[in-house]
Amino acid sequence: MDTIEKILLTPKSETHNEKNIEFLNAIQDSIAIGSWEVDLRTMTIEWSEMTKRIHEVPSDYVPTFDKAFSFYPEEKYREIVSNAFERAVKFQEKYDIELKFISAKNNTKWVRSIGFPVYENNECVKVRGIFQDITEKTNRVDDIILKEKQINTTWHHSPNGMAIIGLDSKLKSVNNRLCEFLEYSEEELIDLNFERLTHPEDKNIDAELIIEMIDGARDHYEIEKRYISKSGETVSCLVSVSILRDKHNLPVHYIANLANVSKLREAKNDIKDLLHTTESQNLRLLNFAHIVSHNLRSHSGNLEMLLDLVEDEIPEATDNEYYPLINDAVNNLSETILNLNEISSINTRSYNDLTHLNLLDYTEKAVSSTKAKAIETDATITLDIDKDVEVLSLPAYLDSILLNFLTNAIKYRQPNISPNIRFKAQKTNHYIKLDIEDNGLGIDLNLHKNKLFGLYKTFHKHEDSRGLGLFITKNHIDAIGGKVEVKSEVNKGTVFSLYFRYE
Amino acid sequence: MNKIDLTCIIDDDPIFIFAAKRILKVSNFCDNFTIFNDGMEAINQLRPIMESGDNVPDIILLDINMPIMDGWQFLDEFIKIKPAKQTTLYIVSSSIDPVDLEKAKDYELVTDYIIKPLSKTRLIKMLQETESK
Repeated sequence: MDTIEKILLTPKSETHNEKNIEFLNAIQDSIAIGSWEVDLRTMTIEWSEMTKRIHEVPSDYVPTFDKAFSFYPEEKYREIVSNAFERAVKFQEKYDIELKFISAKNNTKWVRSIGFPVYENNECVKVRGIFQDITEKTNRVDDIILKEKQINTTWHHSPNGMAIIGLDSKLKSVNNRLCEFLEYSEEELIDLNFERLTHPEDKNIDAELIIEMIDGARDHYEIEKRYISKSGETVSCLVSVSILRDKHNLPVHYIANLANVSKLREAKNDIKDLLHTTESQNLRLLNFAHIVSHNLRSHSGNLEMLLDLVEDEIPEATDNEYYPLINDAVNNLSETILNLNEISSINTRSYNDLTHLNLLDYTEKAVSSTKAKAIETDATITLDIDKDVEVLSLPAYLDSILLNFLTNAIKYRQPNISPNIRFKAQKTNHYIKLDIEDNGLGIDLNLHKNKLFGLYKTFHKHEDSRGLGLFITKNHIDAIGGKVEVKSEVNKGTVFSLYFRYE
Repeated sequence: MNKIDLTCIIDDDPIFIFAAKRILKVSNFCDNFTIFNDGMEAINQLRPIMESGDNVPDIILLDINMPIMDGWQFLDEFIKIKPAKQTTLYIVSSSIDPVDLEKAKDYELVTDYIIKPLSKTRLIKMLQETESK
């Protein structure tokens, strides 16, 4: 700048030869710097070629004061430039300012304007200056500022812990999140050897990876590592480490990204424990099922046989109030055991055991097995099932499910109204939906919704309501990966929607 | 209806044995019984009988769940015997586990799987089957 200052401050007579002007213009062109001069005595302004080019005005353009200031339409910058100029004239202060500027062709630019007052006999006669287009530089700086802001924001608000670690393992910079889960302050962490916070068992687990990274064999690695927080808690982290190299490709420092997976870890362990508990409970249930299936049955079987023998051999022993009651009790016991057996034998099979079954065929089969009841009750049964709809099930389960809903629909009909039962199948995204609609008694769902599919729950007074049907049916549906929904209105009817998997 | 000479009951449950014997007697099915309380005892005693052909039981009623040697283990040994005279074998068990019912079908020797309790009607059917053999 010194040379420019010297040129600008040299009296015009000395610079105003052809050679000098040529030289100056050449310099101005190559560095996009123009010059200007304001002669306060004549109130004229002179702009160099480059200055005119920055203003985007033709070379024959004659600038005036008003015109010159009009290139700064924004109040703020116009004030900066006029104040600086005024101070230069009044107080002999040179200036160097950056301004937002709009060219004659309406392009927004950033310019740098430098002014030097020229004094003669204590009076300011001229202000000379240079004019530089710094748009590109300003934009670049703005970009850098923005990027730095972005990086800063990411750094500080990252949900993961982040650290810059020196090649000596000392922490150079840490973000809030890392401080948070290691429970140290930033001051405590800086310059601390990160190895000291590593769980003793996990020290050096990434030593080889680091060597590979320094050698350039890899540019980053990921590893699960445990750290010890200030309060002594183990913090499990998923660590991703990369290396930063300078322009000579020499390693400068490591950048580590640490995701705290302790909670995930805990949850995983909880699930494992839970699975273990469930497995052992399941095993106990299976054992229980076996006990029911065999041991209980053999005792009730023996009781039945003994009672039969008594009846045959000592008929007089049965002729009292007690015997029929004992007989009933034994029969009830046997029946309960039979029911329990039926339930315990429902296994959730692996879905691979399921086969594709034609829904219409199976529904027709259920209808034909209830034919007698249907004729007796004058029931109308409509099947609206496409003949090639297939569902995934075990044959026995599908039989039992369809038959159960159909017999229920007939059993719980309204007195004096012929049952009207409709089967309608539709394909949805993941399921075949089968609606079974009846005009029967309906179920008070407000009262019974939660126990609808419960064991030994009955909702109507009916001679053979055992409270077993819906329970078993629901279990069958669960076992084949389906689901069931119900809509019902008392004295209007019920719609059961069954969802079967089909692929 | 021909009476059966000898029935062999292999079961560890004394109440079942008592009741079964009585039912068989009362329904005039059979008067003579051989009783074994587990599979091991049964196979040891039955092997020479089957091989010699003397006193071979007409019917064997075999329980599954027994101590020492269960019904299946008994069957695995029993099929190795080359019998001098044929017999009819029924599994009589309180297990209604489908796995057991299926498994019984694997043995050609097993005529049928009877689920306990034993009833007179079932006995009559059994007798008819034995006669028609």
